[in-house]
Amino acid sequence: MWEKKPILLLVLATCAIMVGTIVTMILPFAWVNTEADRIEGVTPYTALQQEGRDIYIRDGCNNCHTQTVRPLVPEVLRYGDYSKSGEFVYDRPFLWGSKRTGPDLARLGGKYPDAWHYKHMESPRSMVPKTNMPDYGWYSNNLLDPQMIQRKMETLGFPYTAEEIKDLEGKNDMDAMVAYLQKLGSDIPWRDAAETTIVGDLVNPYADANQETISGWAPIYADNCAACHGPNMEGEIGPELIGEDYDDEILFTIIYTGITDGGMPSFSNLGTDKVWKLTNYIRTYQAEGSQ
Amino acid sequence: MENQTYNYAIVRSFVTWSMIWGLVAVLVGVIVSLQMVNPDLNFPPYLTFGRLRPVHTNAGIYGWGIGVIFAAFYYIVQRLCKVPIWSDKLAKFQLWLFNATITASAVTLLLGYTTSKEYHEMEWPIDVMVVILWVAFSINIIMTILKRKEEQMYISLWYMMAAIVGVAILYLVNSAAVPVSFFKSYSAYAGTNDANVQWWFGHNAVAMVLTAPFLGMFYYFLPKTTGVPIFSHRLSITAFWSLIFMYLWTGAHHLLWTPVPDWIQTLAMGFSIMLIAPSWGSVFNGYLSMNGQWHQMRENYLVKFLILGITFYGLQTLQGPMQAIRTFSAFIHYTDWVPAHIHMGTMGWVSMICFASIYYLIPRIYGRELYSIPLADLHFWLTLVGQLIWSISLWIAGVLQAGMWNAMNSDGSLTYTFMETMVEMYPYWWARVLGGVIYMAGLVIFIYNIYMSVKKGEPTAVPTITTEGRA
Amino acid sequence: MDLASIVYLGMTFGLLVIFVMIVVRTYSKKRKDEGEIAKYRMLDDD
Ligand code: HEC
Ligand code: HEC
Ligand code: HEM
Ligand code: HEM
Repeated sequence: MWEKKPILLLVLATCAIMVGTIVTMILPFAWVNTEADRIEGVTPYTALQQEGRDIYIRDGCNNCHTQTVRPLVPEVLRYGDYSKSGEFVYDRPFLWGSKRTGPDLARLGGKYPDAWHYKHMESPRSMVPKTNMPDYGWYSNNLLDPQMIQRKMETLGFPYTAEEIKDLEGKNDMDAMVAYLQKLGSDIPWRDAAETTIVGDLVNPYADANQETISGWAPIYADNCAACHGPNMEGEIGPELIGEDYDDEILFTIIYTGITDGGMPSFSNLGTDKVWKLTNYIRTYQAEGSQ
Repeated sequence: MENQTYNYAIVRSFVTWSMIWGLVAVLVGVIVSLQMVNPDLNFPPYLTFGRLRPVHTNAGIYGWGIGVIFAAFYYIVQRLCKVPIWSDKLAKFQLWLFNATITASAVTLLLGYTTSKEYHEMEWPIDVMVVILWVAFSINIIMTILKRKEEQMYISLWYMMAAIVGVAILYLVNSAAVPVSFFKSYSAYAGTNDANVQWWFGHNAVAMVLTAPFLGMFYYFLPKTTGVPIFSHRLSITAFWSLIFMYLWTGAHHLLWTPVPDWIQTLAMGFSIMLIAPSWGSVFNGYLSMNGQWHQMRENYLVKFLILGITFYGLQTLQGPMQAIRTFSAFIHYTDWVPAHIHMGTMGWVSMICFASIYYLIPRIYGRELYSIPLADLHFWLTLVGQLIWSISLWIAGVLQAGMWNAMNSDGSLTYTFMETMVEMYPYWWARVLGGVIYMAGLVIFIYNIYMSVKKGEPTAVPTITTEGRA
Repeated sequence: MDLASIVYLGMTFGLLVIFVMIVVRTYSKKRKDEGEIAKYRMLDDD
């Protein structure tokens, strides 16, 4: 039969290939991105954000960063609420990625203030010394092309206003990228829902720790806080920490839950133990002033 | 004696060009592996990791992999059908279109014209070139088969024919996009749908490019080299139908735990596990064909490449299904484990078969013996050692990384910050650089050996290429 | 058993039947020579 008939073989092979294709690739169109998936609050990208997204694609950020949080406990703790289908309906193409050389970015929006991103994109290593993320300082020299962006918005069928396009004049790749990064994953109000609450009484377990032990905790500050508050707490993106005099509980609460509206991230994922160490470290340092 | 009428010129050209693209792919591979340990090696805007990595993957799969497929099948199809190629002109056209396409891909990717879809990064004008290229190749192969003088169709031809339709369907569907300009387009599918289509494509690019044609080549070159037929043609046929049927269901194993509907993930998981059967059908068929011939492993360098290649394929098709299980995927997905899997497949299986094919072809298409068998042996060992260092160090790295990502304290918080986990990777990434350099040294020796064979090799004993058996 | 399990089970069974049919056909005595001839022919040279 088909052993000697090439055309028949080709037809049969095509049929074999089409079965799985139809079931797992074509049929799902009936269920995915339908009304059932719709999420209130998920909006198309603005002109500036969409351009940022296209730059993200152009420079292959997706080769190091993923954009989908899986419903697994450590992952949700690390990155935030897990991803839902309806959040991606305006994504052409999808950018879920396949390799996390850098952290997932699906829930990045609102995590840091804009100033943090400008500084980080310009020179990641100035903030995170051991990172291998390339510098993207050259973005600031690349002006956007408003006409082209307008055409893109037309093609995508996203709403835009003439003013919006006019405002793009004079903006550069960096502005677009930061606008995009701040939109990521923030269409649903997960940050409010995830608002960390502290249960139980706050008792400082290290109230009696001596000076030496406390100095040993310096690396926790350097790794997590120095990028914003400066290596010596002198302040930069975040305010100066010296001179403040909060008591233990308040300081702990600020670090643990963050001041998300003000650009101070929550550090609950460090765990209570490390946060207590930081609290003591900062308190001691504050008392001494900078050396 | 119709040898003289066979078109070997086209085979020679494809061999040459595939080796050039192979060298480019591996060189860029070493460069990106260095960029991962030292970000100062990024030279914006063109030579940054994000733009170079797709150049590496596409040059590897399409320049090197497909280049050798073209070379090998233009040879195999003529020999198995016992007729010359249907159209020499079309083949020639296809050669130059192939080179133009790969060059254009590399250049546009460096310029930042990309769709971001893995293994399909090239923008739509290049998609058009690819389609013409593939149609030209398909017509030539199918027409040659149609006018063949040998009635029987050996299994190698089956695999190639399945790949011809498979690649055509996959590539066309996944390239659907709306252009904004010559260099930019938006996918016709959005979000979760786009992801599902992309990985249906992605995994079956593995099936139709990195598996089916290479099995065809393995099934051809192994018996030709050992001089004894394969163990069972009927086993190869059963495995063939099962393989091409089952592969298409498995794309979503790249999307486990994502918003893609659960039932698609479950099907992908089930079919991935079932895929062990047809994959190992071919592995057993290969091993059993060696019955009574194992001494050739020592005596014949070609057999070493082929048997090691099918062994890596066997390991790859055990590891792959394991990765497709939800719980295991939860652990290793997104980690450095996955590149280790990939490179056992590409540097082990695919490249071993490529090397064997080219070594086999050289005396037959140039009429000259291999310049140096000791160099070929050295090449074998460098390839093997380089590959093993690459994959083993990254498997360890992946498990370590996964363990750290998931580690939790008793108060329910995470033990490590992202950077604490990332800095642990550097030693392993350095080991990979070492493995890569060793592998590349082997590749350079290989190319040198081939070059010298063509220039200085002894003329083959029986001038027309009819000597079968020992290489 | 819910609908999904029944569908999965049915599918598995259906595929098994097709598979067995292919195996039976390929390995039937009648086709032994026919099925294996290609592997010898490919070794013959022209
Ligand atoms: C070579 C891999 C690599 C590439 C390419 C890369 N990154 Fe990163 N990225 C990292 C790593 C590693 C980190 C973690 C350390 C740090 O903050 O720098 C990171 C961190 C980040 C963060 C901070 C995330 C967080 O939650 O703290 C952002 C935002 C970011 N990258 C954006 C980008 C963008 C945008 C691009 C493309 C223009 C890009 N990255 C390209 C590796 C990469
Ligand atoms: C992304 C930058 C950023 C990082 C990283 C960061 N902070 Fe802040 N932090 C801020 C900003 C911005 C504010 C001001 C918030 C406000 O008052 O609205 C702030 C406020 C504070 C305050 C209150 C200061 C005051 O004057 O009221 C404390 C205490 C503090 N941060 C401690 C820390 C500690 C400890 C860490 C490290 C675990 C840290 N921060 C990491 C940005 C950051
Ligand atoms: C039965 C056979 C196989 C199965 C079931 C399988 C399964 C998988 C799975 C589950 C992944 C995703 C890993 C992850 O991201 O978590 C993967 C990735 C990959 N595999 Fe395999 N594999 C198989 C054989 C092969 C072979 C023979 C090759 C040949 C080179 C190969 C090449 C790849 C590549 C290139 C990727 C990376 C895709 C990406 O970019 O993320 N696989 N495989
Ligand atoms: C010396 C040899 C090689 C070296 C040093 C090398 C290096 C690399 C590196 C560093 C990456 C990026 C991994 C990451 O992002 O974490 C990569 C990815 C990849 N390489 Fe190679 N490579 C080599 C050979 C090859 C060959 C011969 C092929 C194909 C035939 C190939 C195919 C791929 C593919 C498909 C990926 C994508 C992986 C993914 O999607 O996760 N590589 N390689």
